[in-house]
Amino acid sequence: MTSKLPIYLDYAATTPLDPRVAEAMAECLREPSLQGNPSSVGHEYGRRARARIEQARAQVAAAIGARPECIVWTSGATESNNLALFGVARFHADRGRHIVSSRTEHKAVLDALKQLEAEGFQVTYLKPGRDGIVRPEQVAEALRPDTQLVSLMHVNNELGVIQDIAAVGRLCREKGIAFHVDAAQSVGKLPIDVQAMNVDLMSLTAHKVYGPKGIGALYVRRRPPLGLRPIIFGGGQELGLRSGTLATHQIVGMGVAFELAERERAEDVARIGALRERLWRGLAQLPDVELNGHPDERVCNVLNVSFHGVEGESLQFALRDIAVSTGSACASASDEPSYVLRALGRSDHLAQSSLRFSLGRFTTEQEIDAAIAAVTREVTRLRELAPRSSG
Amino acid sequence: MSYSALVERHFLTPRNVGALAAASDVIAARRGAPAQGIEIELSGGIADGRLIDLKQRVYGCPHAIAAASWLTERLAGASLADLDAWSWREAADALEVPPEKWGRLLVLEDAVRALAREWRGRL
Repeated sequence: MTSKLPIYLDYAATTPLDPRVAEAMAECLREPSLQGNPSSVGHEYGRRARARIEQARAQVAAAIGARPECIVWTSGATESNNLALFGVARFHADRGRHIVSSRTEHKAVLDALKQLEAEGFQVTYLKPGRDGIVRPEQVAEALRPDTQLVSLMHVNNELGVIQDIAAVGRLCREKGIAFHVDAAQSVGKLPIDVQAMNVDLMSLTAHKVYGPKGIGALYVRRRPPLGLRPIIFGGGQELGLRSGTLATHQIVGMGVAFELAERERAEDVARIGALRERLWRGLAQLPDVELNGHPDERVCNVLNVSFHGVEGESLQFALRDIAVSTGSACASASDEPSYVLRALGRSDHLAQSSLRFSLGRFTTEQEIDAAIAAVTREVTRLRELAPRSSG
Repeated sequence: MSYSALVERHFLTPRNVGALAAASDVIAARRGAPAQGIEIELSGGIADGRLIDLKQRVYGCPHAIAAASWLTERLAGASLADLDAWSWREAADALEVPPEKWGRLLVLEDAVRALAREWRGRL
């Protein structure tokens, strides 16, 4: 292995901490006055920590057009998705036991839905088009009188394609059906307004927007109250929805990260989008490459490309100087092909020969040019090794 | 996935890449398919009862690429009996190939067997 660190193009997996976020977190860890339990508001230590928590709550709420009291702290998007799905489904089980979602949701949604199926719920998994988009009409057609919940991700983590959340939200609100959105990949890339989009529940995480790992939030509509059963029990924090001592430094980090993400969104999107285009133009010079997902309805930073005639694991090993995700590695180190690419109609074989490049705030033009050169060199080399009609 | 130093060496600089043009003293075999995760093409010349100038082309994972490359060196100068006796386990041991990849080495062994059959057909 090389001693130099690879070029990091895996921002959709996680982002490095923004130094400004790190500084805010470090202050919480350094300052004795901020190290009280935020629930111990009977003394100054607790009150100071609580003030920082509430400041962060307001920062996160502002980034998605919500009121602060609608934000519930969690350990990340996985827990938020679990709380949203189990919380609503179990609370409203007497109202109906049908849920609508899609085949290309994150595992944190799909596996929670599988568990709900085991508990007697029925789930309709919508198949996106070959462009990765689930059309709102598909959602409308799938609704039944006993549908109580729709869950769709805002931006797909593997493809970067954007779902029309506002249209689905309108539809759900008209029918009185709860609407959950996994927005882990969209904060800082797209404008979000939970009220205008008629979203009832939104899963959020800090570590995709230059915040720390291990902290997230669930937006829960409060007016009228949604009805949500907790999945973690204990001290009754977060109005009883999520027990557990609040991690002040993590929460403060998420607050600063969300404020920066929203404040710098326009600038980040323009710069990163231009780099993404530069990368695609470079890769598209190679023969037999294919962009996965809708060419336009996509966030600025993700590019998922299939390379015909190249085996995926070899491609990843050959490109070990570039940190990217493969079409087989989203969930694990297994060589199971990506279920997202398969849902789009890609063969197992082609899904495994796909790479997800995801760019971010700290990506440079030099890094993109180096990535283009490395991919071009290695794809060409591996294709030359193969028997002539392969691929 | 981690790879042995030998796999890494052969993957980065594969030996004897190519294919010999068909001729009366050239034998060739091709096995596997991209959908199986490995496709291998072997070709070599026969002179004085020995396999000479063994070439390979391969599509597959780093273990497959390294195994094909390693094989061309291992079987250089082999007799027909050597080909008959060759087992995929030799490649598995030498290259430290993990069990989940052994199926791909079986395809490699199939290609060696096919090469031996073709040789036998020329006798």
